[in-house]
Amino acid sequence: MKRLAIIGGLVVAALAVAVYRAKLGAEDTESRIATLQAEAKKVSEEISVLKAEEAYLTRPERIGPIARERLGLQPASPDQFTAPEALQRRLGEERLTLPATEAEKPAETPNR
Amino acid sequence: MSLRARPYEDVWGPRRARIIAGVLGVLFTVVVGRAGYVAFNGPEQSAQAATASVERRADIVDRKGELLATSLAAWSLAADPRAIWDAGEVAQDIAKVLPGINVKDLTTRLSDRERQFVWIQRGLTPRQKQAVFDLGLEGLRFEEETRRVYPRGPLAGHFLGFTNVDGKGVEGAEAAFDARLKRGGEPVRLTLDANVQFALEDELEKAFVDFDMKGGAGIVLDAQTGAIRAIASWPQIDPNRPGDRTELAKPNRAINYLFELGSIYKPLTVAAAMEAGVLRTTDTFDVSEPLKIGAAMVRDPHKLENAKMATAADILAFSSNIGAVEIARRLGSEKQKAFLGQVGLLDRPTYDGPQAAAPLTPSEWDELTSATVSYGHGLAVSPLAFAMTYAPFANGGNYLSPVFLEPVDPAKIEKRQVMSASTARAVTDMMRQTVLVGTGMNAEAPGYEVAGKTGTAEKPGPDGYDPDRNITSFAAVFPASRPQFVVLVVLDEAEPRTGDARTAAYTAASIAGRVIARAAPLLDVKPVLDTSTAETPPSLRVTSDERTL
Repeated sequence: MKRLAIIGGLVVAALAVAVYRAKLGAEDTESRIATLQAEAKKVSEEISVLKAEEAYLTRPERIGPIARERLGLQPASPDQFTAPEALQRRLGEERLTLPATEAEKPAETPNR
Repeated sequence: MSLRARPYEDVWGPRRARIIAGVLGVLFTVVVGRAGYVAFNGPEQSAQAATASVERRADIVDRKGELLATSLAAWSLAADPRAIWDAGEVAQDIAKVLPGINVKDLTTRLSDRERQFVWIQRGLTPRQKQAVFDLGLEGLRFEEETRRVYPRGPLAGHFLGFTNVDGKGVEGAEAAFDARLKRGGEPVRLTLDANVQFALEDELEKAFVDFDMKGGAGIVLDAQTGAIRAIASWPQIDPNRPGDRTELAKPNRAINYLFELGSIYKPLTVAAAMEAGVLRTTDTFDVSEPLKIGAAMVRDPHKLENAKMATAADILAFSSNIGAVEIARRLGSEKQKAFLGQVGLLDRPTYDGPQAAAPLTPSEWDELTSATVSYGHGLAVSPLAFAMTYAPFANGGNYLSPVFLEPVDPAKIEKRQVMSASTARAVTDMMRQTVLVGTGMNAEAPGYEVAGKTGTAEKPGPDGYDPDRNITSFAAVFPASRPQFVVLVVLDEAEPRTGDARTAAYTAASIAGRVIARAAPLLDVKPVLDTSTAETPPSLRVTSDERTL
């Protein structure tokens, strides 16, 4: 009987230690979760700020002049569109005006 | 043997063991039960984490996901007056870094020792917060909040609306979709296209360079779904600073304002008559003489060249009021009223979004009312409600309600057939001729086959209609051969700075044309390469390129 009591006591002690460790572990995990949540919130806020900045910086009234002045871009005009069946003809016209490609250039004679 | 006579161990040994075993058993059960609960249910979520996820108001984005409104972390400054020794000194120091503060008022509030909490200023920027923090004053504290920010400034300002300091939507989409936005989570995706919106607002802004005007409104909508791609009111407002709005800029002229829009009603009159079977495209009318209706005279400001034999196409192309009245007479006031009701002009439109103003309808629908309504006087509606009436011309005759939220499910679009596809086609062709040879020539956008109608209406005043104050408008569908979109431009008291006439032909039509030329490529409308539609149909006689109403 005494042995049973001792074994029971040891089991309870072991369980108590295990529960205590689990509790500490849970607290630690909770603390890590809180830290990660705070970090996630901070990162989320930073993303929100960056998205807002991106939206602010890509306003058409800002991007439009930059695209025009620095890149020479402008909206496509209707005469820049053509029907697929007219492509063959257009390509023929453009070949007459475009500079010859490398393959079409006459071979250069090396200077001697 | 008595109990006392028995040895101690014999008596207490088994009992003690049972008690200890019982206690251990209970403890064991509790420990195992709790361990099992934790193992199967996981850790309890903290209340703080739960509330944090519902605090942030959802973003608003356009149909392509471009950010239009967001919530950023901000701080609000509060104070505990009981912890402040010298309220005047604290107020003065705060005012040094927050210049908008009223020192006298703040001193009074900070001196109230019966209060434990006083707001000083909401929505501080990080820099302002640091500046206040650096003052090192006693009794102050910062409360973390969120601040609504509209990163594109005034873009779609009227439509988006704004929130109050507590983050509650009080105007526009912020108010209309407040419940959904408050839930947080995924952004609310509007049907608006930020680039088309910009093109529309930019052209309204530029209109002010060409015309002296009081206000303006514009709408671009997808006629197949009812999705609003752009909706603007000029002067613009910046929802980041709603307090800075001028009186002129306050109303949303596209949704909350009522206008008598003039001759852009005429295509509706023609469509109603064709649908009732009382008008054919080949029918002719004598519009050479003014019409007397009761005590009123109906005239055309400019006489048509073929005034004795004008077709419905001529009546639209050269905006004949007399012709519109003649058509309305054939139609009859009851059928006219029923048709206008079907296209949603006699009731407040119902849809999910910022609500449009209810129309101002005539109290009696007599012969004179029917006559004036046929050319757009006597019935005041919001531009949004009117823009929806042109969608049937572009989609085979179906009236649609405006849609402001993506995704638009084609299966769930509620349609109401208000005219046949052939009537819609015929009236669209007439409006195309209006742009090619009539009053709408300034609206032409090469490649995009604009089909539209000008409208010039005198504004009502205390002494009747005022000929010096006009509402000019242009309503159109494009491209005419396969219409996809509706555009409406309305200008309030626009007067060309060049000295041209104050009519829609010289004002709203040109703005609408520019909007279409810019918006069409953004809306993936391919330009029409075949120009065969420019040929004049036999029913139309070209009089001149004179632009009248």
